[in-house]
Amino acid sequence: MGLSFSSLFSSLAWWSKDKDVRILMLGLDSAGKTTILYRLQIGEVVSTIPTIGFNVETVEYKNIKFQVWDLGGQSSIRPYWRCYFPNTSAIIYVIDSSDHDRIDTSRSELLTMLSEEELAGAPLLVFCNKQDVEGALKPEEISEKLGLAGGEKGREWSVRGSCATKGEGLEEGLDWLVNAIQKK
Amino acid sequence: MTAAATNRGFVRPMYHLLKGLHEYLTRKEEFSVIILGLDGAGKTTLLEKIKTLYNDTPGLSPDKIGPTVGQNMGKITLPSTILKFWDLGGQRGIRSIWHRYYDDCHAVVYVIDASDRERLNEGWEVFENVLSAPQILGAPLLLLANKQDSPEALSVEEIRNDYEDWYRNKLENMRRTYGAEGESEHRRERIASLDVMGISALEGTGVRAAVDWIFIRVQNSRRREDQGGGD
Repeated sequence: MGLSFSSLFSSLAWWSKDKDVRILMLGLDSAGKTTILYRLQIGEVVSTIPTIGFNVETVEYKNIKFQVWDLGGQSSIRPYWRCYFPNTSAIIYVIDSSDHDRIDTSRSELLTMLSEEELAGAPLLVFCNKQDVEGALKPEEISEKLGLAGGEKGREWSVRGSCATKGEGLEEGLDWLVNAIQKK
Repeated sequence: MTAAATNRGFVRPMYHLLKGLHEYLTRKEEFSVIILGLDGAGKTTLLEKIKTLYNDTPGLSPDKIGPTVGQNMGKITLPSTILKFWDLGGQRGIRSIWHRYYDDCHAVVYVIDASDRERLNEGWEVFENVLSAPQILGAPLLLLANKQDSPEALSVEEIRNDYEDWYRNKLENMRRTYGAEGESEHRRERIASLDVMGISALEGTGVRAAVDWIFIRVQNSRRREDQGGGD
């Protein structure tokens, strides 16, 4: 009896603070973060320009409201990402799968970010975006290059393919993320 | 004023005492369980089913589950125990990382797709590696013959036999190539105590029984460790 009460309480507590579900969307410039954001929010492909600063939108998905912060990815503004780390429930990291040259940069930015204490335990969803481009790396290949396996034991993570312009893979990814956040 | 101060001086230690007592009484031990197996064996489906059965928020439904590239976790609360499950990807490239989880785990669940006869041998090859990994020799190991809902699925008995046949063949081949090489003592013990259970992660059949098994076995192995002074 005591058990069911306490678990009931914790699930209520989760719902009552659902306004606070903050998701950070990060990645190098031109990975497709803004396109993903608006694809999720209005279901359309908008034409975007490089983000200086950030876009923040409320995305409602399966009756859950997320505040998604899309932060500009250019190297000069990456140091400011950390200003947004507090109270983050989950991270979406977007990679341009066709950009072979910068995958190492993308990896080191990701690992630096994950080592931040404020983000400890936050589930990580990696979108290997632009899967429609010929020669794009597969999620398995990118996963191997990122080297998260075995090193990131404290959080759930998932590496998935996506194509933001066609809307492929986004919902599946979000389903996984919702599931991972709810458990915490 | 003085009465209030004395009162506070009494209340605070009392509060800490009761809080400590409460924490002691409601303390739960946490055990880590890793779920291994080939890709497509049904590891994530099993994890999500366990979550659905034991938690208030249901896990992902099976039609939402694709191949795992990453790491899924799930926690369930049982009497005085928390079981923490780790579901790791099963594709060839990801299998190489399993060993990094061996040191911290208290039990291992190996899932085999009992309906996929063509991949049984591959499954046994991988299982054999898990079985003989030195870090987890002492950890309880459960073999789950999944997909019992499929008409093609081999029964628990058939799965056990198939594994033993496979192993006998392997030994035979090794003997022919390298000369006599007996079965190790460790392995014999391992096999003797190996439990095989049939489940359908999709429908949930047998899942509770499997969790009960894990629950009992991690408790027992902990107790044995306590008595033996731990090594």
